Amino acid sequence: MDRECSQLLPSVCAVLADSRQLVADDTFLEKFLDWFKTLTETESSLLLLQENPCLTELITCVLKLKDPSSSTLSFILRLTGIFAASESCFQYLQQRELLISLFGEVGPLSSALWEEASVRSGWVQGVHSMVQHQSALHFLCNCGAIDVIFTLQGDPSLFVASAANQLLVHMLTFSLQSFQTKLVNIKDCDWPVCAQKLIVHIEESLKSNSASRIKQSLKLLTSMFGCCHDLWTEVLWSQLSERIVYLLEEKPVHAWHSLVDLFLSMARSPVFSCPECSLWTSVTCALEHLNPAQVGRLAVGVLKLQECPQAVRIQALSVLLQPMDCVLKAASQPLEYPGLLNRSVNDSATVETLLSCRSSCASLLCQTLAHLEELQYLTYLPVDLPYIPLLQSVVTILQFCIGLATPASCLGNKISRILIGCFRVQRSALDILGALSHRESHSVFMGSVSDILLAYLKSPDTSPTVLKKSFQATLKWLVRLSEAPSSRDHWQQTEQFLRDLFLVLQKRLCSPYWEVRDSALEFLTLLVKHLREKDGFRQVLFSSEVPKLMEDLLEDPESYVRASAVTAMGQLSLLTQLISKMPGIENGNGKEKSIVAQLQEILSTDSEGFPRRAVISVFIDWLKEGHPDVLKDTEQFVSSVLQAVNSDLDWEVKAGGLELAEVFSAQTLGRLGLAACPYAAVSSSATRSTHLSESLQIFCRVKLFEFLFGALCDCDRPVAQKACDILITLKAELCEESSLREGTRAGLSTEAHGIAWLEETLRRWSSCAEPCPRGNADGAGSQDPNGVLLVLRTVDLEGLHGSLNRSSDHIEKSPQSLLQDILATVGTLEDNEADCY
Amino acid sequence: MPEIKVTPLGAGQDVGRSCILVSIAGKNVMLDCGMHMGYNDDRRFPDFSYITQNGRLTDFLDCVIISHFHLDHCGALPYFSEMVGYDGPIYMTHPTKAICPILLEDYRKITVDKKGETNFFTSQMIKDCMKKVVAVHLHQTVQVDDELEIKAYYAGHVLGAAMFQIKVGSESVVYTGDYNMTPDRHLGAAWIDKCRPDLLISESTYATTIRDSKRCRERDFLKKVHESVERGGKVLIPVFALGRAQELCILLETFWERMNLKAPIYFSMGLTEKANHYYKLFITWTNQKIRKTFVQRNMFEFKHIKAFDRAFADNPGPMVVFATPGMLHAGQSLQIFRKWAGNEKNMVIMPGYCVQGTVGHKILSGQRKLEMEGRQILEVKMQVEYMSFSAHADAKGIMQLIRQAEPRSVLLVHGEAKKMEFLKQKIEQEFHVNCYMPANGETITLFTSPNIPVDISLGLLKRESAIGLVPDSKKPKLMHGTLIMKDNSFRLVSPEQALKELGLGEHQLRFTCRVHIQDPRKEHEMVLRVYNHLKGVLKDYSVQHLPDGSIMVESILIQATAQSEDQGTKVLLVSWTYQDEELGSYLTSLLKKGLPPTTA
Repeated sequence: MDRECSQLLPSVCAVLADSRQLVADDTFLEKFLDWFKTLTETESSLLLLQENPCLTELITCVLKLKDPSSSTLSFILRLTGIFAASESCFQYLQQRELLISLFGEVGPLSSALWEEASVRSGWVQGVHSMVQHQSALHFLCNCGAIDVIFTLQGDPSLFVASAANQLLVHMLTFSLQSFQTKLVNIKDCDWPVCAQKLIVHIEESLKSNSASRIKQSLKLLTSMFGCCHDLWTEVLWSQLSERIVYLLEEKPVHAWHSLVDLFLSMARSPVFSCPECSLWTSVTCALEHLNPAQVGRLAVGVLKLQECPQAVRIQALSVLLQPMDCVLKAASQPLEYPGLLNRSVNDSATVETLLSCRSSCASLLCQTLAHLEELQYLTYLPVDLPYIPLLQSVVTILQFCIGLATPASCLGNKISRILIGCFRVQRSALDILGALSHRESHSVFMGSVSDILLAYLKSPDTSPTVLKKSFQATLKWLVRLSEAPSSRDHWQQTEQFLRDLFLVLQKRLCSPYWEVRDSALEFLTLLVKHLREKDGFRQVLFSSEVPKLMEDLLEDPESYVRASAVTAMGQLSLLTQLISKMPGIENGNGKEKSIVAQLQEILSTDSEGFPRRAVISVFIDWLKEGHPDVLKDTEQFVSSVLQAVNSDLDWEVKAGGLELAEVFSAQTLGRLGLAACPYAAVSSSATRSTHLSESLQIFCRVKLFEFLFGALCDCDRPVAQKACDILITLKAELCEESSLREGTRAGLSTEAHGIAWLEETLRRWSSCAEPCPRGNADGAGSQDPNGVLLVLRTVDLEGLHGSLNRSSDHIEKSPQSLLQDILATVGTLEDNEADCY
Repeated sequence: MPEIKVTPLGAGQDVGRSCILVSIAGKNVMLDCGMHMGYNDDRRFPDFSYITQNGRLTDFLDCVIISHFHLDHCGALPYFSEMVGYDGPIYMTHPTKAICPILLEDYRKITVDKKGETNFFTSQMIKDCMKKVVAVHLHQTVQVDDELEIKAYYAGHVLGAAMFQIKVGSESVVYTGDYNMTPDRHLGAAWIDKCRPDLLISESTYATTIRDSKRCRERDFLKKVHESVERGGKVLIPVFALGRAQELCILLETFWERMNLKAPIYFSMGLTEKANHYYKLFITWTNQKIRKTFVQRNMFEFKHIKAFDRAFADNPGPMVVFATPGMLHAGQSLQIFRKWAGNEKNMVIMPGYCVQGTVGHKILSGQRKLEMEGRQILEVKMQVEYMSFSAHADAKGIMQLIRQAEPRSVLLVHGEAKKMEFLKQKIEQEFHVNCYMPANGETITLFTSPNIPVDISLGLLKRESAIGLVPDSKKPKLMHGTLIMKDNSFRLVSPEQALKELGLGEHQLRFTCRVHIQDPRKEHEMVLRVYNHLKGVLKDYSVQHLPDGSIMVESILIQATAQSEDQGTKVLLVSWTYQDEELGSYLTSLLKKGLPPTTA
């Protein structure tokens, strides 16, 4: 702890110990505790207490208070716990009987304040911090604290109950972690007393009739098996497994949720991965006994495991596929496609009942679809997935949802009635439909997928969120198809699909909902990006109205849409340039205003930030990719962009402008062979010097330095920081050699200047910045290379870099500031703190 | 028994970040998804792990409802939908949907400015989140699914703020969000109909305060700005992008116009246009006066307020500058503050909450020597004023709303425990309803006895009104009929119609009772005695002696049997239908008393 803080600490402690002086904001106490946590990690806690006796006094004082506030008491409990984590400090506090007074039966436990959840929470957290050594465990076992924690497991506050459960897990694992002997049986009596006590409690809870006690113990075991992978966990499981299986065989299974969590947590532990482990019998039992709505999570968890008996995996997959199989069978009789399953794991009647009931049908399908989607993203799936029937069942569900299916069976009719217009199921089904594209097959796509996607894209009933998912799924399929080798016929069919798609897009781009227009534009951007190399795609795109509509959306009333239109046009423009080189395609280049001019206008006139930010990032891409319009006169382009950005008030536009400046300067230096590339041919010093001076002149012509220095003075830290980084790089390049010559010649003092000096210089530059003819390097101010170099050398860039690198909240974060704030705030902010935002 | 469960994850006995979980008739709804600006780590967001343990979020939650655009009510939304993984519907009013992203962007900028910030949402995430939002109109009943419906009511407080009624069947909960029961310069007062919800979840920021009107605070503000400008000082007002800034702009603009003041007013960033846009777009959400004036003159086109350039800060003479960010922790407002802080003629007015550690917080708590970067000390000589313009209902307003909505119970959130305790007692005393104030993480369970609506057939209604039961909404009436429960609905119809509809045949159920009578005479003589006795007692009833020897009293049949072994005892069988149970029982008890002695 630094000297200033230790000087402030006594007054702060005095404030906290005074029940009349309420600290208005609870974030103070939280941050105060954060600070002590950091301190005790690096310093000796005992020394901290000894050197700052006010801390011990604070604890004593609060204990003596007749009516402490619940927040203060909770804070003291947590603070003491943090100190008591160190054994020496624990003894120190123990000798002063502070621990027993705080955590024993006579302390807050027996006071009226125990009713407050914050006090109970503070107590649990204090104990949790403390349990870092055996002395703490003995203390807790002896002072009756363990029974209190057992009670707190069922606390009415979720936070306290959960913390108590975590505490028990911590105590159990901690008490056994140093236990090296081979543990055969818990009843051998060689287990530590604390562990034995906890295990007896768990066993009793599992045997009790109370559903909540059973759940608490299952949760405890779940966390414990999740974080501790020691061998003793296996011994513990062997002790408990019989009871757990019994819980599983109950009808109905009340604790199914907690049981699923438990099995998942155990299955991930290497201790139980051996195929002979009894865990798998229990998992199999769960897969059989629980209904598909309950067991889906377990099934997908099992399928994600690296180590698992194959039979269990196959069973898990069957569980997941069963509802889909049922849907497929309900939709068509006789079955057009092979079913998904050879045999069912569960009674298919259960699934049918769930699917025919309004309250369970949608949620079962959503869950199943989401789980099956998860499987699609696994790099390795250890079981065979019946891909085609699965895809067909997804398509069937989507058909049900928009009334396209005419089911023959009674169940099919019921499902159809329930699902029609159900957005939830539509979204989940479209998600997996997209994910299934990774097993691309042109015939499958053309068979049914393209029809259902078009149906969703066309339907006026499709909600904006569903439409977005439809676009995403369509994009995934098209991208996959474009990447796969395919025959000419296949691609012609795809082109027909694209033609239909663009007809739909024409409508969607004119939708009254901005969400729809935006999603359509985002889709188009990605489509153009991925399919730009396909001639057929370009033909279809440019023969449609879509490009024109995209351009119109540059003037959309909604700024999000304008921004997306800018990005889309940016992509399209790269494509247009590509096409202009191809014979026989009309690219509409004869229009009145070029896209560059349009985007530049948006950059300088749009009243909202999003479109301007989009323009600048398009410009960066163009500069990087060498857009022909940019290449025509790069200097002019960069100069006009920087000028527009310079007067922009949006910090992200400025940051974008800086990135553009960075790309430009790197390109310029690179072109002249000055890039810092280790493999570049070393040029002679004379050539290098000429190139340097040439670059400098280019930078001056585009007013790069004026822009960068301006940004360096910007009040938004990220802008100034980026400008500083770029300037340091440029300085290293440009001033390296010239500094020796110029510096000595000009007899410059080495004194470095700060921002105030720079601001003054910039003001001087702007006052004499009458337009100089291009190419004239003799002018004063920002156009004068020597003047610029002088400034570049003189400004204390390194110093600024250091201060900018510290974040704007470094004062906020300092403990000294916190202590000062606590002292200053006491009693002054009564009215302010309730005034949120 | 049906129950409603409420668990605050935030705003339970605090004013941090609102996030309340409500479970009603099996539906789970999240009310608000706010952020605590006082923290830089994950503590700023509600702890969603308590919901994620219930499986997939989208499966567990039926919807999220956002009451208004303040960050302590919506700040965690993009995190929740784009990073935690909620993919279901989100509801808010149209103005809230329009304004929310601006504030979220504003806050994103603040966090980007900080070092080591991780786990925070991006601009794209904000947009993706807003695309999932379904905007609602006031008083529009929105069907979330077959059973769950929601409805928005005007809440005052800020543009677009709404209270929401959440209804499943006959059970309902009203969540107020933040509200204001007194109209102010721009917005009207909150209003709700007498919807009698099972539970009203009300904010209680000013639970124990009776506040002076906002008008007084506004007058005070204008006076302070005016005095400062008059003596040649510069006034800095640090604000957030949208919200209070626009209110204060309108205030100053009108005042400048009236007083014919010349000192310039500047606004940093292009915020005025944005504000104009939204206030114009949502003119129906403002108060009546603004709506009327709007026709004659657009209140949002400012004559006196101009865009600020950073060079203006050094201009001589008085001026007023609105600059972001609102807590003076970075950026332009801090830069101007540094320039002006040393002059006692200048003034800074903080119109909102400041997080600990920020310069705004420090000067509000009276600190006058501030350590800046590089251990420089900035001495603050300028005047520092705090002005609260927040528009929350005070104690009186909260009571008024309860009176208006007539809830069966009340739950207080968004307030301090001590103040809530006081108000809770007051509510319980005055309205005789239970009032709860759970802490964060505590679950309140309320048992409800829902009304089950039953349709009644016209035929039955006509028949009942024919016998004098005229329907009257205020007086409940008892009606008889057959209840048919079919396809999740209930109907009361006449028994005949029920039989017809269900295709059932009618069965008559008769009750028969044996009555032993001491009489040695012959059977037919005994029957005659019974007949005469009944005829004498039941003068208003039709009593007949039938040729087969039995007696009929209305529909009740009395027959004698001779099966008794004891000659002196005769057995009478009294038989009646269900409909005549009353008369049947009466006759039985009458006969059981025996026959009167013969007078012959």
